[in-house]
Amino acid sequence: MLYRETGDFSSTYAADQQTFPIRSERYLFWTAMAFAFLVVPFLVNDYWEKSVLVPLLVWSMAALGLNILTGYCGQVSLGTGGFMAVGAYACYKLMTAFPEMNMFIVVVLSGGVTAFVGMLFGLPSLRIKGFYLAVATLAAQFFLVWIFNKVPWFYNNSASGQITAPERTIFGVAVTGASAPPWATYLFCLTLVFVFAWVARNLTRGQLGRSWMAIRDMDIAAEIIGVQPLKAKISAFAVSSFYIGVAGALYFSVWLGAAEPTEAFGIDKSFLVLFMVIIGGLGSILGSFLGAAFLTLMPVLLKNVMVGGMSWPTDLAAHIEIMLVGGLIVFFLIVEPHGLAQLWRLLKEKLRLWPFPY
Amino acid sequence: MNQHINPGSMRADDGIEKGGMLLHVDNISLSFGGVKAISDISFDIKKGEVRAIIGPNGAGKTSMLNVINGFYHPQEGTITFRGEKRRRMRPHRAAKQGIARTFQNIALFKGMSTLDNIMTGRMTLMHSNILAQALWVGPARNEELAHREAVERIIDFLEIEHIRKTPVGRLPYGLQKRVELGRALAADPALLLLDEPMAGMNLEEKEDMSRFVMDVNQQFGTTIALIEHDMGVVMDLSDRVVVLDYGQKIGDGTPDEVRNNQKVIDAYLGVAHD
Repeated sequence: MLYRETGDFSSTYAADQQTFPIRSERYLFWTAMAFAFLVVPFLVNDYWEKSVLVPLLVWSMAALGLNILTGYCGQVSLGTGGFMAVGAYACYKLMTAFPEMNMFIVVVLSGGVTAFVGMLFGLPSLRIKGFYLAVATLAAQFFLVWIFNKVPWFYNNSASGQITAPERTIFGVAVTGASAPPWATYLFCLTLVFVFAWVARNLTRGQLGRSWMAIRDMDIAAEIIGVQPLKAKISAFAVSSFYIGVAGALYFSVWLGAAEPTEAFGIDKSFLVLFMVIIGGLGSILGSFLGAAFLTLMPVLLKNVMVGGMSWPTDLAAHIEIMLVGGLIVFFLIVEPHGLAQLWRLLKEKLRLWPFPY
Repeated sequence: MNQHINPGSMRADDGIEKGGMLLHVDNISLSFGGVKAISDISFDIKKGEVRAIIGPNGAGKTSMLNVINGFYHPQEGTITFRGEKRRRMRPHRAAKQGIARTFQNIALFKGMSTLDNIMTGRMTLMHSNILAQALWVGPARNEELAHREAVERIIDFLEIEHIRKTPVGRLPYGLQKRVELGRALAADPALLLLDEPMAGMNLEEKEDMSRFVMDVNQQFGTTIALIEHDMGVVMDLSDRVVVLDYGQKIGDGTPDEVRNNQKVIDAYLGVAHD
């Protein structure tokens, strides 16, 4: 009886427009959030933080960003890895240049820098569409990774060419560096993801989001009813890159701690995030989270079952894991091409009537 | 019912009396490479009237609408809308000036709900900034609610309450046409361009649509330019008719005058062009 809409009537437009118009859904959401904020920090250990929760949050953030661009505005991008690198390097430069700066501000500013870079690489979208735009953003991916390898200023001339996150604190608790407690890094990421997911929801249900979707669905008609394509596309690139930049900053500073551009921000990351968005559901905030969860948790789960549960050799398990995840992706795309979010929507339709479907 | 869909956000009054000149098309010529789509056409649209544009297939009717709302740029001639003269402009500028339209082949945003489609029609009337939208506070939220109310009035008017939240891609053809009219109406247009609003409809749907077009014209006082092939509809609805054939104007006047114009009869019934 988790899902009941009987007796739920909205009598104002404000009530009708809220994110969770159905009461039971609203309660469910806030219970889950209360659990995530108040209970999980006491349970979390190093393994859960580094292999499950922080990766999940970082990839959710990146998927949110790409979903705004690809799912809502219809502009395909393969530059996600490169933009994450921009966020990470901006974060690194800010952390080393201003050691006193609050980490929240550092991360948000890194997002801002990435937004600016994203806008520049978004300019071709005014002329080219679809696959051709994807190829143009591929150029961004390779160019950005190349420049972070090439110019020593970005990695402060370190001998290894790597960037390493120094320890930074919030309210006296370390959130980056080796000695940061798991609960602190988890809460830090969770807070950012929570706030920016809410912002993404607001942007996509308002006038800006409608102009993005109008451009996605029918760009000529959109222009004729008054959407400025330049403004809509560039703002989508900016907002999307902001999210991806924040994800990149968290990825480097909180999760990895040290990064080398070719390895950490390669083209495979671009594809990974694109798969998350497609599997989760294009044009859905929930879909971004579901897609990220599917592609980060499924490998961990499979590994635990095969190595831990059935005590197979690690290398065999790793190969089978790749095959299984690939197979599952194909399976889900065939079962529901509109992604996991659509699957959830259909399930809710069923639940409305369950257990009496007639 | 209210005179305007949303009196609060009505565009500034242009000071043109009902029956005064709203739009003036002067000597427009448009060609694509060697193909002349429109040659030297002039006509006018008066405020508050229903102006039909008719003609056989390929006569240049849709091209004419595309010129009026800035999608095509004519090689020659000017367009004067509300006293402002221009030749080239971007479509979203025309939308800002108060020209809204529907399309021959439905051009709705298929992935969005009916409500969102019509809300998008109010694009040029909403001004809150991105930060306020991101935080969903004060001005952005109030603006959204105020416009939602205006949009609900359109939904009421067009009798599409039941499909408010349905993605338009799932709607039948007749309803999609109605939603598209709603999206154009949402802009509070000074001039509404309807490109074959009744194409492919059955009799009942045509009657409904005719009723809406008349109501829009009479209740809201919206000026309408209408392209339509159904002569019964054209003759009943319109105040004046302009007839195009092969990119040229061959007739202009009240429905009765046009009906008795020999050139128009020839164009429709077909005589050898010399």
